[in-house]
Amino acid sequence: MKIVVAIKQVPVRDTNVRIDASGKWIDEADLEFEINEPDAYALEEALQLKDEHGGEVIALCAGPEHAGSMIREALAKGADRAIHIECDDLGSLDTLGVAQRLAAAVKAENPDLILTGLQSDDLGLGQTGVVMAELLGIPHSTIIMHVAVDGAAIKVKRELEDGWFQQIEMPLPALLTIQSGIHRLRYATLMGIKKAKTKEVKKLTPAELGAAPAAAITVERIYAPEKKKQTQILKGSPQETAAQLVEKLKYEVRVI
Amino acid sequence: MSVPIHLPAPAAIALALAVPEYAEPAHFSAVSMAVLALLIVVSAVLFWSRFGKVVKVLRQAKPDADFSLHPVGKRVWDFFREVICQSKVIQERPIPGLAHAFVFWGFLAFALVSLNHFATGFNLGFLSSHGVFGEFYFYFAAVFALMVTVGITWLFIRRFFLRPKWLGAKLSYESGVIAGLIFLLMATYLAGFFTPPGSAAALALWWVHALTILVFLPLIPHTKHLHLMLAPFTIFLSRGEFSRIPPLVGDEDFGLVTGRDITKLAALQAYSCVECGRCTEHCPANNTGKELNPKQIVLGLRGFLNDLGPGSEEPVVDGKHETLTSIFQCTTCGACEYQCPVGIEHVPLIVGMRRGTVNTGVWEDEYGGKLFNTLERNGNALGMSAMERDKFIQKEELPIFDGTQEYCLWLGCMGAYDPQGREIVASFAKVMRHMDASFGVLKKERCTGDPVRRLGNDLLFQTLAEQNIENIQKQNVKKIVTICPHCVRTMAKDWQEFGGVTAEIEHHSEFMARHQHLLPQTGSDETIVYHDPCYLGRYRGSYEEAREVLARSGKVVNPPRSHERSFCCGAGGGLVFLGEEQGDRVSHTRARELTATGAKIVGAACPFCNTMFRDALAATSDAPPQLLDIAQIAARSIEGEGATPDA
Repeated sequence: MKIVVAIKQVPVRDTNVRIDASGKWIDEADLEFEINEPDAYALEEALQLKDEHGGEVIALCAGPEHAGSMIREALAKGADRAIHIECDDLGSLDTLGVAQRLAAAVKAENPDLILTGLQSDDLGLGQTGVVMAELLGIPHSTIIMHVAVDGAAIKVKRELEDGWFQQIEMPLPALLTIQSGIHRLRYATLMGIKKAKTKEVKKLTPAELGAAPAAAITVERIYAPEKKKQTQILKGSPQETAAQLVEKLKYEVRVI
Repeated sequence: MSVPIHLPAPAAIALALAVPEYAEPAHFSAVSMAVLALLIVVSAVLFWSRFGKVVKVLRQAKPDADFSLHPVGKRVWDFFREVICQSKVIQERPIPGLAHAFVFWGFLAFALVSLNHFATGFNLGFLSSHGVFGEFYFYFAAVFALMVTVGITWLFIRRFFLRPKWLGAKLSYESGVIAGLIFLLMATYLAGFFTPPGSAAALALWWVHALTILVFLPLIPHTKHLHLMLAPFTIFLSRGEFSRIPPLVGDEDFGLVTGRDITKLAALQAYSCVECGRCTEHCPANNTGKELNPKQIVLGLRGFLNDLGPGSEEPVVDGKHETLTSIFQCTTCGACEYQCPVGIEHVPLIVGMRRGTVNTGVWEDEYGGKLFNTLERNGNALGMSAMERDKFIQKEELPIFDGTQEYCLWLGCMGAYDPQGREIVASFAKVMRHMDASFGVLKKERCTGDPVRRLGNDLLFQTLAEQNIENIQKQNVKKIVTICPHCVRTMAKDWQEFGGVTAEIEHHSEFMARHQHLLPQTGSDETIVYHDPCYLGRYRGSYEEAREVLARSGKVVNPPRSHERSFCCGAGGGLVFLGEEQGDRVSHTRARELTATGAKIVGAACPFCNTMFRDALAATSDAPPQLLDIAQIAARSIEGEGATPDA
């Protein structure tokens, strides 16, 4: 089974993110990066499928040069080779633009299965995988908890709301977006890193993958959440404060 | 007043007249010489049939890449102390140790006598009971013979009747045979003094003595008595430092993976084990019902070498010779290694096997995997955001190190993120301010890599070490002080594999002890029981500094196992981050000991010990002593002094 896993590098969680001078993107100096968490689980799922059924796992990433460290880590954990679409303009692309690049690179590989995380920890759009599937003209399913291979088809378990799950059978090739936390992640090993040195990382430029369409969206401004809510403390005896509260709920908030 | 002891003159004369001289047969015939020569050859062949195999294994085993005879002086001194003086043998088990030392010294004294004995068999004897030297030497050896007789008899009684459990449940009959042979050697020698020279009895004694030696010789390599050939080399050729973890060399070295990775030193140590069980006796894991038995680790490796050899491609941790469960139960406290009288270095061996299984991804453990991923991601073992560290620094108003301060106060993961660890740092900062020491903390720190170093994850250790080294060198740090003995050890020793740092590194106990005159002498008689942290005591040899600091605030008492024999808290070797323990908790066992001293306060000097005892003291006692770090105790005394300025 040939599996492509699309992975993304995002700023380390809980970092103090600053907005850059243009006001349209974050200041990346001094930032540390790591693999997007749901993507780490997508990679783990791919590696487990390979352990079980054999085949090949190809890590695919669109991102700047520093994403190379994450790609090497994926190779160290067991991916067989990698494709790195080197680009610094992710901030100015919309989902379609990113998905087109990824899809163009995937097309040449013609894999049985494409996995990616259900969303990214930085932008959280949750669409890249789905749009890729549409561009490739293959079925997809999202928020996947479990994958079982059954001949030329797969059975997957999707997470729905409120503790409900959905079991789906799908033909291959297909694209799945993987939920976080579904496995115990393997750790990168010294042996893995040494082996990774000899593994192929194919570097592509956006130009080699065909001209990207003009972005359908433009970023106007990014900003930290602004504080708008206010807390008022009502003073007085319980009777007085209760009366004030009712007054405010009726006429200011208008909920009763 | 001393009273000189001397024998009354008549008694001395009577003794001198009564002392007989050592008798030897007068002459050996050609036939007799031929028989003797044949027997010697047979004995030597039997000896070599086994010893040759051991030598072959040692020759085939991989060389130790980092081995260096330097410093020779220390090696000679260790050899003198541990081999010639039998210091470890005696120190740790005085009575059987002395008995063993008698036998050992007797062997040394008998070397010349035995040589002469066989020379006599070819009519070439060079010691004569009529010559001045010969007469002296025969008596000299006789004194040793008496000591050996007493020693071996006691050891026999101990092994076969007292049966201490550390010698193993199974009686070693070979040890009984060896004891019998040694006894026979001494008896035949001593009997020679009461036999007329040249008599048939003298000849018979001579033959019994000679045959005993010839039987004894091949038994040596076939039994654990091989240690008397190897242990002197093992001690002289040790890695030179306590628990030194050797560097990995080249792209194919992942630690102790297969037989091919067993180095000469490891093989030598495996064959040197005398199965005395001192390691097991002091092992915190084994003493609390876990599978790990350090003696079995060594014997397992020997078994592997015997069964599969040093060229084998089979994994060493194969579930038969060595098991994953055992090797990951080790707290790396080093009690085994410290005790070992034949120079076996258990910790590098166990860490070597951990490296072999972690660096190749064989070890799968929910908690271990989580720790590795957490450290990779957050750079601290507690998995918190670096922002939390910044907030703590701001709250405690700790200055940021900028190169102008004398000390860099290294917080460590516990000091930066653990609530109790933070209190220790805050107290120590107070002490440093009280002492007018200028200090700052680094803007960014990562875990020194201690837990992953001991768990055998070299990739992560190297990453963490290199990031820290670069940061510290860039900041131009000259002196580092920290509350954590694990950080001290890792920075000072383990980082050397990746260049290390030029800064001097010390533990806060050492810093405070150097400036103890600035600490108030409270005169309090409050009792404080001090727990020696493994990484400060055995690893660093620092025992008295913390006690000196504590002595200014109270009366220091020791738990039953202290100093070099301190019993681990259970946290080391990365185990604090792993799951539930098998058997009893190490921390509970130690907490009971500490509480039983009746001391009001438990003085800790390591944030990991502190975190282990926090729960353990409460779980094992209804009214446990108060648990404080030495810095907290010192800070309290300073506050007390401030409150009563007249005092």
